[in-house]
Parts: sequence; structure tokens; C-alpha cells
Amino acid sequence: MSKEQHQELLKKYAEAVVRVGLNLRKGQRLIINNAVARGVPAAGREFVHEVTKAAYAAGAKYVEVIWGDEEMLRIRLQNAPGDSFDEYPKFHITAIMDMIKNGDALLSVSANDPDALNGMDSERVAAMQKHHLQNYAPVGAQVSRNAINWCVVASGSPSWAKKIFPDLEPSKAEEKLWQAIFETTRATLPDPIGAWEAHIKNLKARANYMQAKKYSALHYKGPGTDFTLGLPNGHKWSGAQGMAENGVIFTANMPTEEIFTLPDRNRAEGTVTATFPLSYAGSLIEDFSVTFENGRIVKVNAKKNEALLQKLVDTDEGSTRLGEVALVNATSPIGKRGHLFYNTLYDENASCHIAIGRAYRFTLIGGEELTDEEFIAAGGNVSLNHVDFMIGSPKIDIDGITQNGDREPVMRSGEWAFDA
Amino acid sequence: MTEQEFDHLLSKYADVVVRVGLNLRKGQRLLLRGILEDAPLMRKVTESAYKAGAIYVEPIYADERITRIRFEHADPETLSEVPNWMVKRYEEYYERMDAELAISSSDPELLAGINPELIARNRKAVAQRLEPLRKYENTTNWCVVSTATPAWAKKVFPDLPAKDAVEKLWGEIFASCRIYEADPVAAWNEHKDKLQKYRDYLNGQKFTALHYKAPGTDLTVGLPEKHLWQGAQAEFKNGITGIPNLPTEEVFTTPHKDKADGTVTSTMPLNYGGVLIEDFSLTFENGRVVKVTAKKGEEILKKLLETDENAARLGECALVPNSSPISQRKILFYNTLFDENASCHIAVGNSYRDTIVGGEDMTEEEFAAAGGNKSLVHTDFMIGSDKLDIDGLKADGSRVPVFRAGEWAINMY
Repeated sequence: MSKEQHQELLKKYAEAVVRVGLNLRKGQRLIINNAVARGVPAAGREFVHEVTKAAYAAGAKYVEVIWGDEEMLRIRLQNAPGDSFDEYPKFHITAIMDMIKNGDALLSVSANDPDALNGMDSERVAAMQKHHLQNYAPVGAQVSRNAINWCVVASGSPSWAKKIFPDLEPSKAEEKLWQAIFETTRATLPDPIGAWEAHIKNLKARANYMQAKKYSALHYKGPGTDFTLGLPNGHKWSGAQGMAENGVIFTANMPTEEIFTLPDRNRAEGTVTATFPLSYAGSLIEDFSVTFENGRIVKVNAKKNEALLQKLVDTDEGSTRLGEVALVNATSPIGKRGHLFYNTLYDENASCHIAIGRAYRFTLIGGEELTDEEFIAAGGNVSLNHVDFMIGSPKIDIDGITQNGDREPVMRSGEWAFDA
Repeated sequence: MTEQEFDHLLSKYADVVVRVGLNLRKGQRLLLRGILEDAPLMRKVTESAYKAGAIYVEPIYADERITRIRFEHADPETLSEVPNWMVKRYEEYYERMDAELAISSSDPELLAGINPELIARNRKAVAQRLEPLRKYENTTNWCVVSTATPAWAKKVFPDLPAKDAVEKLWGEIFASCRIYEADPVAAWNEHKDKLQKYRDYLNGQKFTALHYKAPGTDLTVGLPEKHLWQGAQAEFKNGITGIPNLPTEEVFTTPHKDKADGTVTSTMPLNYGGVLIEDFSLTFENGRVVKVTAKKGEEILKKLLETDENAARLGECALVPNSSPISQRKILFYNTLFDENASCHIAVGNSYRDTIVGGEDMTEEEFAAAGGNKSLVHTDFMIGSDKLDIDGLKADGSRVPVFRAGEWAINMY
């Protein structure tokens, strides 16, 4: 790809993010952040420049970028006093909450190294992560109720590309990653905005089908997986688009291939085996399975980073339970690329997945209006965490269990078993 | 310079910044402010700060390219938008007496070609928003240093290939910050003592005014009765002493805001907010600029002086001999931290509180009555050269030579 072609695609991608993802309104301010790296890594700079231009072209009043530095996090983990991990850049929260209260837009740009904190002391990583989650909780709560138009996207980066394509030369690896990003975000199509509108319509049709069924539970069967997940009364399937409390209709993830709702926090039984590694707090948890009883995780098992997985589950009561169930066909545009991305935004759109922790308020009808206690009583989960992990593959079958206890095929061999 | 040698020098530089500049104390937090290109030094300083006992180092990175993109792409009506939390984030640090390091490595041409009207509008809005932070002046140990960034290096050494220009600029930074010395900390202590001897001498003289004479310059600057000369070391309100500028070669005080008469001609370009102002003269009457001429950037210079009521009055005068190590490099750095330490300079705008005896405890009215200037701006410009003579005037009308042909006329040794 020539430099000019790359630049042109970057521009089209940024425009799609601003116009379809955020649907940024004239006069809104935009804040660009990355919670995991405490700011956008510098590798995302060129993309952020294009987003900033597109945002101003759309009439943004002000664009703020919080930059992060993963290397600084490593330096901190290696050198800071052991009792100092409750220190946190509070102004990030002040800034974002200020923007949210004002009805502004929030964009998260990933350009992270999946191995950023590899080899660091897991106690220290867990302490830093816990204080991050506690500090970030007010933002998480607002995002979870769609207070404003928000969007999560990714930029290519050398370290990320190297993780995905370790055998390629660095420049080739990066080019290949960008190619994947441009294709899956539809930037390579002649009319990306039109293509996104058609795609959103399709996902909404699937969500509407599932919504009409009002299944009482889903049953998953595959290698290492025999798992039943209850769905609460009033669960609401969403796909692609949401309506924020500030009145803006937006698309929260680009790419997005999923339809999703919330599970009943008290009804999950059996064992589910992950089909992808999980990137969490800068490390990869690999080859793992989780066993549930009455909605609660009673056992975890991992070939790599089991201790970190256990720490994740131990974060709070809500981290022992599930907060999202999402369906994605195994041959989605991302799935059919046939490789891992080591990045949740991409991997979750290649595979059916579930999330440990917090449920999105908007996945329960009327959920935004409930107190935490009421939401929990209705089957919703509340937690500092929301961590997706992948359980889909071409070998997974999913049945929907109706209110009468009948079974209907939802997915077979990883593909949709119904027409919408 | 091999990568290993560079890494070693950068570590030494970071140690000097933390130990000599900030004099960071165990248990302090450190706020780091720089641009994305400053990351190599920011990381080394972080490591050094934790080793010195910091409990937390917080980097705030800015991207100056985003600043330019804003001027190019945003609706001009929105350029006064400055979010409120910009103030809050600093307040939190200053209230806790945390240390602060600012890195100054901007592209001198960042905003070249942008409408000066728009730049002035934005800078004024930012200055107004940050004005409440003025009360924290010298509250905590702070320091300003530089790193060699590609855009800045290209401006300083336009004829060199990009990589060589950056390496050469690093060399200049390391040399002027005494990093090549076997024991940089000892070298800094010696240098500090020397600057403080000049400072003490000048404080002993109790001059009523300074008279500057050079080609294009014939300017008399009155000094407040209680003016105080400062040099190298500062005592911060949190009880720590440090050196707030690395490098530093100056001793400085505040002029009386109402007492400057005559004309002064700049000897170096002035980089103001990413725009260069060149070959300019200012004429003063009763402390106020009454005439401005500039071959380049006259409009933005006028805007600067119009920022507020006192932006056209002086807030600092600083003495630096032409033989200062930075001046001897014969390089124009297009960066105030370096250029001001190569040349005598004066600043329009705000006076530092610590340049008047008791100034830090005065109300605004008392400070103004003592001759101090209050403004949203503080912009240094260079007036030194090997042709500059300065006399100190005393209350009895006598004149004492302070500078001759750009050098100290006082023999301290």
C-alpha cells in the first residue's frame, strides 16, 4: 500500500468513526481516551489526527486527547513503592465526567501492546488494576447507561502488529494489521457510510428476531463446553446501534458484528471453555475454562496466567458473575480472517462471547432507571469489571430454550441457524 | 554517539533534573508535562524519580500537532473554548505541594502561517483560564528543561540531515546542562555559587535604575525600591530549594512597571506561541510601550502587547554575559530556555513575586504599589550582544558600570 493510499483509507476510516460511530453533533466536544493505557498510546497518533480533523469538520467545539504511555506503566510497576498503587491520575476522571455532564462525546482508541505488562509482578499489576477500576467506576457507570454517544475503535501499532504476525517483517506486519482494520471497518468500500447503514440494518434484524423469541435461556455445546445461561425477564437484545441519553443515535463499536443482551446473574450452570486467549490488564490469559453454579464462578482453570484470571474473578462480588452474552457467527468478516487479534474489540467480533462483570443498563428494558439493588433484583449484574471472553468456534451449537422449555436452534457449527 | 552512550547520557541528565533541578524529596509526587516527542526523557525522569523515593509520577503528554490541526480545521468561533478541568488538574497537584517538571521542546514554527488574530484569541482564553493558578507561583519545587525533538532540531540546524540535527541538538543540551562533566552535581553546585555571588553583589548595590546602551538601544529601566535579584536557586514555599531552569546562566529582577523610557532593539528572534517575531524594537514611555516596529511578525507582537492592560509593561530584566557557555555556541536556539541564557533579556508582562522583597505575601494592590507588574503574559526577549553596555544608577546620581561590551564589568574574583 502506498503512503497516499494508506492516508486516504485512514481518512475514510476516521470519517466513518466520527459520522457513524460517534455520530458527532455540531457544537459537541469530543474527548479521546484509552482507559487501559491511561491514555491513547502514541502509536495511535496518525489516526487520532485524522479523527480530530473529521471531528472539527463535523462542527466539534473542542477535541481533547488524553495520551498514555504503556512504558511508563512498566516503569512504575518496576520502581514505585509497593504501597503506592492507590495513586491515580484523577484529572482523567474529572475531565471525562465534566464532558459527560455537558453531553459531549467519548471515543476510546486502542493502539495497545497486548503484552505491555508481560512479566510484571502480578500482585502489583492487580493492585494497580484494582485502583484503576475503582477510580474509573463513575465513567464506566455513565458509559454503561449510554449517557452520551461513545465509541471504541482501534489504530494499528507496531507492537500489536508484531503480536499478531510475529513472523512478518515489522513494516509488513503493520501494513497487514492496517489492512485488516480498514477492511473490517468497511473503509475500503466505495461508500463506507452507506455500507455501515446496511450492516447496521442487518444486525438490528437479528436482534429483533431474538427479541421476539423472549428465550428463557441459551444452551451452549462444544468441545469443553456444556453450559446453560439464563436470560432474565425484560432482557433486551441490541445490535450495532444505541440511543444515548443525550439523544444521539450512535454505534458503540467499530467494527461490530455482534448482537448482545444481559444474562441472568443467578442462572449460569456448567463449564465453558474459552476459544481465544484473553488480553487483560496488559497480559494474556490462555487456554482457560470457567465453571458456574447458580450463576457464580466456582472454578477457573488456565494454562497461562491462571493467577491473574483468579484475581479478576476476585475483584468484587459482581466479578464472579456474568454481565453480557453476545452472538457472532464464526465466519463474520473478522472471524473469517482466521487469526487472533489479541484485542477484545476485534476478537469479540469474531466469536460468540460472554463477559464477566457489569451488565449494560440498556440491555434490560427500563434498566437505566433502576437503582443498583433493583437492577440486581431484576437479574442484572453490577461490578467494577466488564471483561469479555470468547467462547465461539465453528464447533459450537447454541439452542434457545423457550418459556415452555422447548429447544430451538440459534446457531449450528458456529453459524446462524435462523433467517432474519 | 552510539545508542548506549546516548542512553547513558540521558540517564545522567534525568538524574540531574531530579536531584539538582527539582531536588525531589522522598514521598513526593511528580507531575511531568511534555509533548509526545519528549517520551525518552520523561521515561528516564520517571525511573530516576521513583529511585529518589517518589510515590507517584504522572505524565501529561500533549500533542502539539493537534494544536495546529485545531487552528486549521476548527470553527474560529470555538478557539476560545478552554475546558475548566485544565485548571483543576494543576490545582490538585499544587494544593498537595507535588513537584512539577515541564519540558520545553516545541516546534518553533508550529503555528507558522496561522492567522495571528486567531492565535492571540486562543492564547488569551488559555491565559485567562489559567490565571487562578498564578497564586501557586513557586509553591512547589518546579523545573523547566528541554529535549531535542525533530522539528526543533530542524529549525536550529536546517542544513543537517534530520537524524544528525537531533543528535547535535542533544549534544548542545547535554553540554549546557553540564552532563558531560564527570560529576554534574558538583559542577552545578559550583556554577550556582558563582551566579549567587553576582546576585548578592547586585542586591548590595541597591540600584535605582539600569541604563542599557547598544546599537538601536538606549533604554533606562527603573527598579522598584524593594527589588530583589535572583539567580539559579529558588526557595519554594514547600520548603525545598531547587534550580527551576536547566540550563540557567542569568541573574534577574523586576523593573518598576511605571519606569521604563527609551528604545530597545531585540538581538534575536522571539518565538511566541509557535510564530517567530524578528528584528523588532520597542519604545517605552513611563513604563509602557508606545511604539512597536518589527520586520517580521509585527501583528502578533502587537497582539501580544494588547493582551491586557499590563502586557505592554515590563516584568523582568535579566543579566547574562555574552561569554556564557550557551552564547559561546553561537547558535540561535529559537527556544526561550536556551536563548535567554545566551543573552541579556527583558520580559513584557507579569513580574515574579519573589523579585520584590516580601512580594509573595503582598496583595495584588500592594505588589502593584511596590512597582510589580501583573499580566496574563510573561514573554522574554533578547537584547544582549557584545556591543551592550549597562550602567547601574544609584540614588545619589552616580553611575556604576555593570556590563561593558556584553561582559560583566564587575570583577568578582
